[in-house]
Amino acid sequence: MTCDEAIKLMDGYLDGELDPIANQTIEQHLRECQKCDEAYKTHSALIRSIGKATPYYKAPSGLRERIQASLREEIAERSPRSVSRNIPSLFPSLIQSKQSERRAVLFGTQWNWLALAAAIVLAAIIAFNLAPRLRRPGADQFLATQLIASHVRSLMANHLTDVASSDQHTVKPWLDAKLDFAPVVVDLSSEGFPLVGGRLDYLDNRPVAALVYQRRKHFINLFVWPAESGSVSADKRITRQGYQLLHWVDSDFNYWAVSDVSDNDLQAFKQVFEKQLPRR
Amino acid sequence: MTQRREQEDVGSFEEVMLPHLDAAHNLARWLLRNDQDAQDVVQEAYLRAFKSFAGFHGSNGRAWLLTIVRNTSYTLLKKNRAVDLTTTFDEEIHVAGHESVSPATILEHSEDAELIKEAMDELPSEFREILALRHQEGLSYKEISEIAQIPPGTVMSRLARARAKLKEYLAARMSK
Ligand SMILES: [Zn+2]
Repeated sequence: MTCDEAIKLMDGYLDGELDPIANQTIEQHLRECQKCDEAYKTHSALIRSIGKATPYYKAPSGLRERIQASLREEIAERSPRSVSRNIPSLFPSLIQSKQSERRAVLFGTQWNWLALAAAIVLAAIIAFNLAPRLRRPGADQFLATQLIASHVRSLMANHLTDVASSDQHTVKPWLDAKLDFAPVVVDLSSEGFPLVGGRLDYLDNRPVAALVYQRRKHFINLFVWPAESGSVSADKRITRQGYQLLHWVDSDFNYWAVSDVSDNDLQAFKQVFEKQLPRR
Repeated sequence: MTQRREQEDVGSFEEVMLPHLDAAHNLARWLLRNDQDAQDVVQEAYLRAFKSFAGFHGSNGRAWLLTIVRNTSYTLLKKNRAVDLTTTFDEEIHVAGHESVSPATILEHSEDAELIKEAMDELPSEFREILALRHQEGLSYKEISEIAQIPPGTVMSRLARARAKLKEYLAARMSK
């Protein structure tokens, strides 16, 4: 082996990628040729050092959640019944969602604490999601996972509401026009749960109304969709990953309230909500 | 397909692909040299990967994902900075580095992350990606050839040229 040949193979040798014969040949050359041996030692020390010191760009916080949200948008889009937000997936539109992300950053301070909490919770949801595939979750568990994910996403994506208004007479017509049912919308400001707005969401294979209420600095998502006729069900309370879920059914609708307020607050919310419902 | 089935598909896709998020972002960031572009490309790449996930039967999820990240990165690079792709390679190999700077001096500065970053960023994209894939992900030549879509025999010579160029640029910065 000549020195030129040895130098050509040096990087392959350094990376342990030579075939056994070439490997043996270059090792023999390095034993016999001091010049090449020194060149190799310097080169390998340098490359290893550079390799170690090269900055590694880990994914920034929030990117994982952004990806997960976009995958769920993608699914929602696929269904012909979907009325969910129309965010197509190719590049030009990516710019749109990028801008909304940037807007979220601009308005970042007021959302930061939400985003942080939400990120932690979302990580827990993912962990939770992995296990059930092995042991088939019950329908409620599966739905609870979707509900929490929707709640978290609404806080994170800075997309709490499609129609932001504390006026039930603004929120209701907007929702009525978008849905194939007419949810009841009541303002509960006087009871300490002001209405923030409404949003379309997609749950359990159907479009649903999400009414957003506020309790001090916390938000409550109230998901509403028509109840199956004759369905009777006791209230359900689920606590998961620091979130409270409360489910009830009346003669017309399924309700799922999701929030990080206390269980007591959520119970109180349900009570005042039912009290304010128009008599039918 | 039902919504529920799709939800489960997303779950298994995420299980296989999200562990490679850092690798995906690192590659995109080196290729694009810009935080915002890197994040957008990674998001887009994950979406593309999800759409073609049914066609993924291999065991090497990382290599498969990185291939998509790379292709998506080049889509944006071609769009935005065609000039980056036309950078001509210097075919010459300077194993000993810059004439005026001794190997010992380069070695002294070889732990200077900022210096390495600056020198790396000056390299053509083909060099940046191959260095990231080998030095940071520790991928084999075979994996690199699949991701960068070059013949396996080309990996070693391109890597050698990339390293030589990097050393040259480091030396040039030190002699300033
Ligand atoms: Zn020699």
